[in-house]
Amino acid sequence: MTDKPSKTSDTPSPDSPDDAGANERPTINPPFDLEAFARAASSPSDQPGATSDAPTNRPPAPHWDPEFGPEARTARISLTSEVEQERARALSGRKPVRTVTSSVLSIANARASSSPHVAPVDPAAGGPGEAASSIEAAVRDAIGESSPPEITERTIDDPVAEMRERFSLGDYTGALEMSELILAEDPDHVDATECGENCRTVLENMYAARLGPLERVPTVLVPRAQMRWLSMDHRAGFVLSLIDGSSSVDMILDVSGMPKLDALRILHELVQQKIVSFR
Amino acid sequence: MDKVIGIDLGTTNSCVAIVENGIPTVIPNRGGYKTTPSMVAVTEAGKRLVGHIAKRQAITNAENTVYAAKRLIGRKWNSPQVKNSVATSSYRIVQGPHNDVRIVLREKEYSVPEVSAMVLQEMKLIAEDYLGAEVGKAVITVPAYFNDNQRQATKDAGEIAGLDVIRIINEPTAAALSYGFGKNVEKTIAVYDFGGGTFDISILEIGSSGVFKVIATAGDTFLGGEDVDARVIDWLVQGFREEHGMDLRQDRMALQRLKDAAEKAKCELSTVRETEVNLPFIISSGRNEALHLQRTIDRQTLEGLSNDLVERTIDICRQTLADARLEKEDIEEVLLVGGMTRMPKIQLAVAEFFEREPCKGVHPDESVALGAGIQGSALVGDKHDMVLLDVTPHALGIMTQGGYFEELIPQNTTVPTHRTKIFTTSRDNQTAVKIVVMQGESERAEEDELLGEFILTGLRRAQKGTVEIEVNFEINADGIVSVHAKDLETSKEQSIEVTASSGLTRDEIRDMMEGAKDYMVERRTTEEFEAAKQEAERFVGEIERLLPQVEQIVAASDFGRDAIDKARSIVTKARSAIAKRDIATVKGEIEGLSRTHRMFKGVVAKTH
Repeated sequence: MTDKPSKTSDTPSPDSPDDAGANERPTINPPFDLEAFARAASSPSDQPGATSDAPTNRPPAPHWDPEFGPEARTARISLTSEVEQERARALSGRKPVRTVTSSVLSIANARASSSPHVAPVDPAAGGPGEAASSIEAAVRDAIGESSPPEITERTIDDPVAEMRERFSLGDYTGALEMSELILAEDPDHVDATECGENCRTVLENMYAARLGPLERVPTVLVPRAQMRWLSMDHRAGFVLSLIDGSSSVDMILDVSGMPKLDALRILHELVQQKIVSFR
Repeated sequence: MDKVIGIDLGTTNSCVAIVENGIPTVIPNRGGYKTTPSMVAVTEAGKRLVGHIAKRQAITNAENTVYAAKRLIGRKWNSPQVKNSVATSSYRIVQGPHNDVRIVLREKEYSVPEVSAMVLQEMKLIAEDYLGAEVGKAVITVPAYFNDNQRQATKDAGEIAGLDVIRIINEPTAAALSYGFGKNVEKTIAVYDFGGGTFDISILEIGSSGVFKVIATAGDTFLGGEDVDARVIDWLVQGFREEHGMDLRQDRMALQRLKDAAEKAKCELSTVRETEVNLPFIISSGRNEALHLQRTIDRQTLEGLSNDLVERTIDICRQTLADARLEKEDIEEVLLVGGMTRMPKIQLAVAEFFEREPCKGVHPDESVALGAGIQGSALVGDKHDMVLLDVTPHALGIMTQGGYFEELIPQNTTVPTHRTKIFTTSRDNQTAVKIVVMQGESERAEEDELLGEFILTGLRRAQKGTVEIEVNFEINADGIVSVHAKDLETSKEQSIEVTASSGLTRDEIRDMMEGAKDYMVERRTTEEFEAAKQEAERFVGEIERLLPQVEQIVAASDFGRDAIDKARSIVTKARSAIAKRDIATVKGEIEGLSRTHRMFKGVVAKTH
């Protein structure tokens, strides 16, 4: 903390509170791994250096931060549930990112495109955040509600190795994203195709297990008139529109017209947020 | 007595009916709806969807959802209607091996009768679920203008679906049958049929002893309720664009919701003056938030949007009456058929045109299927007073010099029948004549349907008009047309047998039947398994809920441990069988699970 570069204090975030505690928060600047950061932020005693060593200015070129590099990150991923990772990814997708050219693969970009944003809102509480998970709350604490992180990219030297590593550590969503990025550049990549399919199967089974028997019929708990006060994206809105009180989850998956995994994930989010329930 | 179902195989919706204890009844589907969308889709996972479920994903899975297959059935690849469909359909239509039409779904080609068979199979299933017994026979309706090939293709579709199609009848005739059921009417009626995808107007003469003659029929196969929906969608899209500057058409999910909402609003406006279209989160704003569509539409707006479409139907009615040389006063009753006729504006337009209030006695969605059901019941029952006579749907004849059509057997002639006519050569020293067999009503042969052709050779060289050739048309009881041409001087003759063709060979139909049967077996097995699984899972859940209590209660007894172990073993077996999708074992375990559940409940109840 004492070695904090003077640059940081010269350029404080305009929305940051200037109390002592707030000064210890990192001004989120990349290279940035939101999940690792979120974990670090939610357990500061375990990771004392995580916040203080975070750079305060955007570096000239993306590089692996030793603290948040693959090793540190993946070691923690195995302790985090897919759902928590999804939330973190959803948050990370709120900022637009630059388009990637050449062969540099962008993690931030991948997450932004593949994460349906279904942020919870409790109308009674008057805003988002009431039903948020601890990880999400920790992230918000760390970065401040009004100054969302500036997401940038980090390069990956060996995307195939990264994909395999993520898969072996049980980060199936991450591995799937990597496989999609690889396939975007090389549609015939055998390993990426296989890994992507495996990830999809595992994730589909995982969400299906959480939803319970797919013959069950979901119902919408939120009155129609109040629906527009919820916070969700149009994809979630579409899935919600398919819930008519007589169609089973299986039928909804069939008619959604979106990949099964996406539909399952959205349905799961809707159930988690108590927008949807089962009869 | 065999149960015969009547099926209205519509362009957009189908309906099935039966006569039960003398009362014609429409059979609702599993969702409780009395009509089922005539839509078939194949999902990404290869699953077949038919009916409402196919309709709900029709836009998001547009390339693999077939609608309005009826516009293509029995038609040749090069027909104008097929070309029109190729240009306007979202699914792929390709040329088949017999110059027929094929539809591509998920890279697999299906013939049109095969697709229609999937809808018919669904209607058969609906009837079987309702009756609790297998259904074998059916009467299917077709538009009055369908030619022999289209009728044969519909019959083939029935056969592929596992149905014995005992009669094909005209839709307006079926509606008239439903109207005349239990009454003794002799009238000239107009059937104004404005459905989801097509418009038809037919003038019928209902005579005594079951003669229903179609005097005239016309329509537009690309005009229906969907066009009205499209106008409402346009209106909503335009309003949204003005408000938010975004085009909802660019997003398939938004478009699917719009389509459903537009249809719903249209239907509601038949009974209420205004309705709200409320579609929250319809499209992404591009800033990680979604926009909502909320608009009120009133009846006047809807009528304004669809006015020209209604006018088009009235123009067709006017033309049809003129063609049939009938006056409005000759029409003694007007029947309204098809969902669109619920629209007050249409009822008013029809009443104004025909200068009489339309009949309210027939159900717009159900009357055609009910008529088919009535006919089916009459065909297998003792009461034959309502049995329709089999008639030729179109005139039959040959092409003569100058490209004209010479009629030999007029439209609506009861079969079997035969007619003969003498023709002469049209050129000097003509030694051969080509007999071109046609079907239709147009004087111009090119506008009629070609059924077949053959050449009679070896004619005597002579001046034109001197060699006489006798042409004989014969239609037997099975509808097979034989045409003979005979040189009266030499008695040389040639003939051709014309059988209506759907464009499929017998082998193809047989293969498709096998495929349909396999699908049914698979579907029934899946349903059976799902039912058994649900029951088993319900017991397993209950047993596991009671287990800790029972364990506690019986812990002290000698037999307690044994009973608990047995219960656990049954649960494990059931779970394993469910995981392996072993239907026989799952079903076998249900009895044991039920017994265990009863026992557990008893134990718990006794201690409380």
